Amino acid sequence: MAFLRKSLHICLALGLASLLLSGCWNRRELDDLAIQLGTSIDKIGNQYRVAVQVVIPGEVSVRTSSSGISPVTLYHATAPTVFEAFRKLTETSSRKIYSAHIRVLVLGESLAKEGIGEVLDMFSRNPEARTDFYLMVARNTTAMQVLKTITSLEKIPAENLFYALDTSAKTWAPTTTVSIEKLIEQLVTEGLSPVLTGVKVVGNAERGEELTNIQEIDPAARTRFVGLAVFRKDKLVGWLNEEQSRGYNYIMNNVKSSAGHLKCPKGGLITLETIRNTTHIKADIKGGKPVITVKLKNVSSVSDVECRIDLTKPETIKRLEKAAEERFVELMSSAVKHVKETYGFDIFGFGHQLFQAHPRAWEQRKDKWDEQFEQLEVKYEVDVQIHKIGTTRDSFLNYIKE
Amino acid sequence: MSLSGKRLSKRLEANVDEIKQRLGSSDDLIVKSMTGLQGWHGVLVYIDGLTDSTIIHHSILDFLMSENQASARNSVMSGSDTLHYIKETVLAAGEVTIIEDYDKLFLNLLSGVAILLLEDCEECLAIAAEGWKDRNVSEPTSQGVVRGPMEAFTENIRTNTALIRRKIKDPQLWLVGRSIGSVTQTNVAVMYLNEIAEKSLVDEVFRRLDKINIDGILESGYIEEFIQESSYSPFPTVYNTERPDTIAAGLLEGKVAILVDGTPFALLVPALFVQFFQSAEDYYQRADVSTLLRLLRYVSFLITMLAPSVYIAITTFHQEMLPTGLLINLAAQREGVPFPAFVEALLMEVTFEILREAGVRMPKTVGQAVSIVGTLVIGQAAVDAGIVSAVMVIIVSITAISSFVIPAVNISISVRMIRFGLMGLAASFGLFGILMGVILLVLHLNTLKSFGVPYMQSLAPFVWEDQKDTLFRFSWKNMRTRPLATGVRNLVRQKKATDLTK
Repeated sequence: MAFLRKSLHICLALGLASLLLSGCWNRRELDDLAIQLGTSIDKIGNQYRVAVQVVIPGEVSVRTSSSGISPVTLYHATAPTVFEAFRKLTETSSRKIYSAHIRVLVLGESLAKEGIGEVLDMFSRNPEARTDFYLMVARNTTAMQVLKTITSLEKIPAENLFYALDTSAKTWAPTTTVSIEKLIEQLVTEGLSPVLTGVKVVGNAERGEELTNIQEIDPAARTRFVGLAVFRKDKLVGWLNEEQSRGYNYIMNNVKSSAGHLKCPKGGLITLETIRNTTHIKADIKGGKPVITVKLKNVSSVSDVECRIDLTKPETIKRLEKAAEERFVELMSSAVKHVKETYGFDIFGFGHQLFQAHPRAWEQRKDKWDEQFEQLEVKYEVDVQIHKIGTTRDSFLNYIKE
Repeated sequence: MSLSGKRLSKRLEANVDEIKQRLGSSDDLIVKSMTGLQGWHGVLVYIDGLTDSTIIHHSILDFLMSENQASARNSVMSGSDTLHYIKETVLAAGEVTIIEDYDKLFLNLLSGVAILLLEDCEECLAIAAEGWKDRNVSEPTSQGVVRGPMEAFTENIRTNTALIRRKIKDPQLWLVGRSIGSVTQTNVAVMYLNEIAEKSLVDEVFRRLDKINIDGILESGYIEEFIQESSYSPFPTVYNTERPDTIAAGLLEGKVAILVDGTPFALLVPALFVQFFQSAEDYYQRADVSTLLRLLRYVSFLITMLAPSVYIAITTFHQEMLPTGLLINLAAQREGVPFPAFVEALLMEVTFEILREAGVRMPKTVGQAVSIVGTLVIGQAAVDAGIVSAVMVIIVSITAISSFVIPAVNISISVRMIRFGLMGLAASFGLFGILMGVILLVLHLNTLKSFGVPYMQSLAPFVWEDQKDTLFRFSWKNMRTRPLATGVRNLVRQKKATDLTK
């Protein structure tokens, strides 16, 4: 009897405890969620306009055949703060917006110009969100418009943006992927200003919103990544063109693989493919002045010969390597020169490197770093090695009968 | 029932009447009276069906009837003398004993022994004549192997002990009998290798067996429940098998086998947790193959226990853990399903348990019909009707299939039970709940003991030497010692390493 009573008490205590524990009750069935994959934020006057791209699972799934409606739907709301706008979305949405699986965050150009810091706080504070999404800036268009463009290969436009940027950053130098953690880290680091890849809608933007957009082989509208947006702290101040973006990414060691051409001695072009690339930035003080050395090590292969050149000779390869080295120096120095002249502040993190190598020297200079940066001496040490020339040796172009 | 040691009477008629009366004049009681040429008068009593008619006719009756030819004695003998005379001179049957009281008489009579009663004699002869229809030794049905002996125990305890003796031809293999059950008087045999099994273990087995006080033992499951340490655990702490080779292997490791008459399932103690994941075949296949299969079984064990609950937890609490593509896919399948994931899972799991139970119990001829209905109902129709999602069918199926991988049926049932508890925890607290449940389970497993040996022995407490045969199965060349749990008395199995190069 005593045993029974005791176990009864224990059960009662456990039952009561479970009432308290249920405070963090957070059970949601999958079909109660509106899974948000893309988010855009624009600034309209003093208010934020948040648009979320929510997937319609049944339309994306392989099992159910498509019924001809859009695979995603867009909800948007305008409110003084971002979080309010998010909650306001439920005015139009039947389900709670589930934000964990966000793939891309597109920031409007106008918002970027006024500062993105306030917006980012909510995303870094959200406990349920995954942080593996990419940020980008809409160029010459609103961020919402970017999310409105229907894409074909990836049914979900947000996924399309995500994978397009991911693939492009891996195989093509002028774009770069920035996650929220990286961006915030860059924002709070001294002597470094962040950049984001720009995205714009090319073609007929209005037709891009219709489902018919993807019924054509060549859709009327597409999204395309264009250049890097340069931020001064959290405010957009300008854009780098393709060449400068390429130079930036080489300096920042962002390049995994890319391709670039060189001029052949006898006219025509030859393309080298970057297979491996590593860049180190070294900061020194020489003669009381900071000197930055950018050391780039590049392993390339010849992938496209569009000129008459004899690749069987080692000297040719040596010459190509030399030419490539010069080309890299040109790329990087023109990017640095452009930034120095146009913006006059450090987006490459040279200041940060100086801080790490010579903290005291940085301490003296950090208040006037912008001026110092404009005068900064940057040296380039480039080492290019061409390891492979593909599956053929000499180009058949050399043997075409006259 | 007890006859309180009542002794036989001198009068033959009174004895026969007593027997008839006690047995309610059962029809299968055969009473054959006879008169010898020498003037003695006797009655042969036996139970039809329990005795071998060949023995009755050729070894008993033939000799009794022609007893005068064998001897030319004329003197009139007393009843008792005649009895001894018949026992020693006349009968050709092998096992003949003298009985004086009814207790023994009935025990023998009902075991298939023929009883010869004589006029004017207070004793009777029990002549071994047992013989009844037995099932042949056949293939094991619950613990099949691809490679290995294809024989299983039968219902006859003598056959079973013989099957073990055929594998271990050593005088150290001792067999001690007990008869348990005040009404059934079931024969129970305890077998062990005297020089290997620990004395204390053997004593403990007998102590527990002798404490059993029940009217009937019909299967070894009765014994198992009486001798196990913790009755309130879902986990079995006594191993049962129908394979003689498994028992022999256990004996060689220093364990004790308990065989029960009337069932092909023998018990082996002490039983360790890991033992339930070992198949006899592990030791017949190559070591690497066996190790892989054994690891596969542990994985299956975890799947059986955790798959539905982890699915519930992740899809209702931790959606952010899923890759985006998978999440959308799952969400598409959940679209339109009217139940919460937990109810959905419960529905499917219970349906499957019903199907499985039906499959075991129903007549074999309707099996196909039920399996078709089962497959259609849980496989196709439920998904098409939008009652459950397709992925739930996959989860239930993988859970079910995994549960069949575990070689021991009894632990697989335990896991099936625990699974439901974990599903409840997952539905209320998510992964946190599952973790709590698993922690409790591990704690519980570590408190269990089987005949004094920690249930998780060789994992907790961790025994380095025993890792050769726990999760892995090392090559026989490397398994030179017995497991520490039972084999300390005589640890070494291979005195010299086998080296073919020398």
